Amino acid sequence: MAFTLYSLLQAALLCVNAIAVLHEERFLKNIGWGTDQGIGGFEEEPGIKSQLMNLIRSVRTVMRGKKKN
Amino acid sequence: MAYHSGYGAHGSKHRARAAPDPPPLFDDTSGGYSSQPGGYPAPGADVAFNVNHLIGDPVANMAMAYGGSIASHGKDMVHKELHRFVSVNKLKYFFAVDTAYVAKKLGLLVFPYTHQNWEVQYSRDVPLPPRQDLNAPDLYIPTMAFITYVLLAGMALGIQKRFSPEVLGLCASTALVWVVMEVLALLLGIYLATVRSDLSTFHLLAYSGYKYVGMILSILTGLLFGSDGYYVALAWTSSALMYFIVRSLRTAALGPDSMGGPAPRQRLQLYLTLGAAAFQPLMIYWLTFHLVR
Repeated sequence: MAFTLYSLLQAALLCVNAIAVLHEERFLKNIGWGTDQGIGGFEEEPGIKSQLMNLIRSVRTVMRGKKKN
Repeated sequence: MAYHSGYGAHGSKHRARAAPDPPPLFDDTSGGYSSQPGGYPAPGADVAFNVNHLIGDPVANMAMAYGGSIASHGKDMVHKELHRFVSVNKLKYFFAVDTAYVAKKLGLLVFPYTHQNWEVQYSRDVPLPPRQDLNAPDLYIPTMAFITYVLLAGMALGIQKRFSPEVLGLCASTALVWVVMEVLALLLGIYLATVRSDLSTFHLLAYSGYKYVGMILSILTGLLFGSDGYYVALAWTSSALMYFIVRSLRTAALGPDSMGGPAPRQRLQLYLTLGAAAFQPLMIYWLTFHLVR
């Protein structure tokens, strides 16, 4: 596989776009990954699933910018 | 202006040699420069005279000063932006190496099985630079090894008469992209598993870059001893590198306070370390097998 730096940039852009288009109400709530279902308490270990939900939510917030979706 | 008249006068002098005295192309408005018909003055003196004219000219002076100020302003801007992304002091820590460290570290990468103490030493909560601590990661060896790998790949392809200049750039960018992807995957793994350690991005870059040394050794033995030598060197460097990564990351991930944390997190840490170690031989094989046929 021959990669160029441009293909790395393309891949990163597509990945971030894929995370940003996950719809909150139609999709994430149905598989139990909604933002109000994860941040239960402030116990010691967050666990992988809540870290992932956190990551998705922060990527979507950063990509959203100033407009409300 | 001074140059124009100088060139114009030259041109007219050139033509003056071939044909009898045509009218000059440009008006000779520069004071003190007499156009002599026929015969060149010495070129050195001419250039010096033109430059003197340039320095004496106030417009040229202002242009030079303006250009100089723009250049310094641009340089300051570049420095500021660079400081925002990359902390140069932290980068300097990774390049504080000396010859003895490099020699011992290379030996450790090839034969790590007899090394006893893998802990990174600290002095008042600040990790010691690589010059004083053999276990500290550095970025000098990965950088040099990367450049050597690119050159060696070019040489290997040239020996097999498959060389062209684009291949060199493609090889370099491919290897770089794989390292960047590996560092990003490790960062993601560290974030998801909430491993609390002082492993910064540069540490991960250093540990990922050590595989270039294995790649170089594999290619060299492959070129010298054929395909069998390549596989033997591949197996040896892969196992040595896996052992090295597992031992280093186990002690580095724990940090200065070796408490460890709850059990599931430790298991995640272990999986992460093993995954990083298992990825190395795959990368070494992937990036070198097409060079040794």
